[in-house]
Amino acid sequence: MHLQKEAKQKIIRDIIVSLFLYTLPVILMFLSFYITGKKPWLNQQKKNAATVVHH
Amino acid sequence: MPPRLFIIKIHIMLKIIESIFHNLSVWGLPVLMIIVGIIEFSFGLYEKKWNRNELILDITCFVIPRIILQPLTVYFTLKLLPVILPGLKGTFSWVPFWWAFFIIAVADDLTQYWYHRLHHQVPFLWRFHRTHHSAPYMGMSMASRQNVIYTIFFSQIYLTAALVYLGLGYAALFVTGIKSLITLAAHSSIPWDKPFYKYKVLHPIAWVLERLISTPATHHAHHADSFDDGVGNYKGNFGNMFFIWDVIFKTGIITRKYPQSFGLKHYKQEEWYAQFAWPLFKSRKEGSELAADGPMVGDELQVNRSKSTGEESYETLQKAELA
Repeated sequence: MHLQKEAKQKIIRDIIVSLFLYTLPVILMFLSFYITGKKPWLNQQKKNAATVVHH
Repeated sequence: MPPRLFIIKIHIMLKIIESIFHNLSVWGLPVLMIIVGIIEFSFGLYEKKWNRNELILDITCFVIPRIILQPLTVYFTLKLLPVILPGLKGTFSWVPFWWAFFIIAVADDLTQYWYHRLHHQVPFLWRFHRTHHSAPYMGMSMASRQNVIYTIFFSQIYLTAALVYLGLGYAALFVTGIKSLITLAAHSSIPWDKPFYKYKVLHPIAWVLERLISTPATHHAHHADSFDDGVGNYKGNFGNMFFIWDVIFKTGIITRKYPQSFGLKHYKQEEWYAQFAWPLFKSRKEGSELAADGPMVGDELQVNRSKSTGEESYETLQKAELA
């Protein structure tokens, strides 16, 4: 018993759409950083650097 | 109210919410399930269909995965992830809370949608998920009812564990808590969504709600044993927390009605151990999908309908929207 050809095609098509959906929140997040000019990853780098100096 | 006092009050409230979600993830959800299950049982919502075989199966599925899965995910997070993703622990902890929330919600639930959908649409996988559909009733007792192999390979658990390892753990606490509450409420035999369909003033909320998250109406339709009433859609309505995936991929129907009967038309009341641990244990029931020489998919109708599910479901969805 195998998967019907049409069902298989629909699954592949939907998986491709899903790949876009997975990346959508990340794309929107970086778009919001671009618009607002925020760079929160720099705070993390500063924190890490401070930790290294402290040690 | 002075602004400082207001900020302190907000801070206390957030701490309380955090504590609620933390307790939910540790012990709250199983206790909630037991309490709601007792209420359902005392109101006779299992309609005397909860025989000894079903009872043992439901209790086994409630207890054993909690014992197996927790150490397994802890091992995966603490031992395997540092090997698979070396030096990346906490790399993305700078991601703001609401973005982390959004990223995990989509990653976790969309993965579960696919895991679930493929177990219905790929004949080879069906028997690993069949146990969840064999219950002839809805409610807390069957919400955890899964084959143990299906549970162990629950793909989104490992994806979320990886995101936690990468630094999104705080948001994951809230996403997994909210998701568990929505999926449990969708399995419950208490139709909490009914007032939204009954009162016209609530219809706009219902319209959004039923497209966004799983409700008893849409999820009960997924557990129906037939398509014939125009309500059941056991080859669709795959969404767990979000129903929006079913809307996007046209695998869902929304009728605002509840099916009359649940389970599988070809259910043979297979032994609880075969349902729990197939293919490690096989059923002795002749012709069963779980028997040694049983068919891969017992319900031929199920297979024939699978190829047209998408278009057909969307047509019905459109009809429901027009109604």
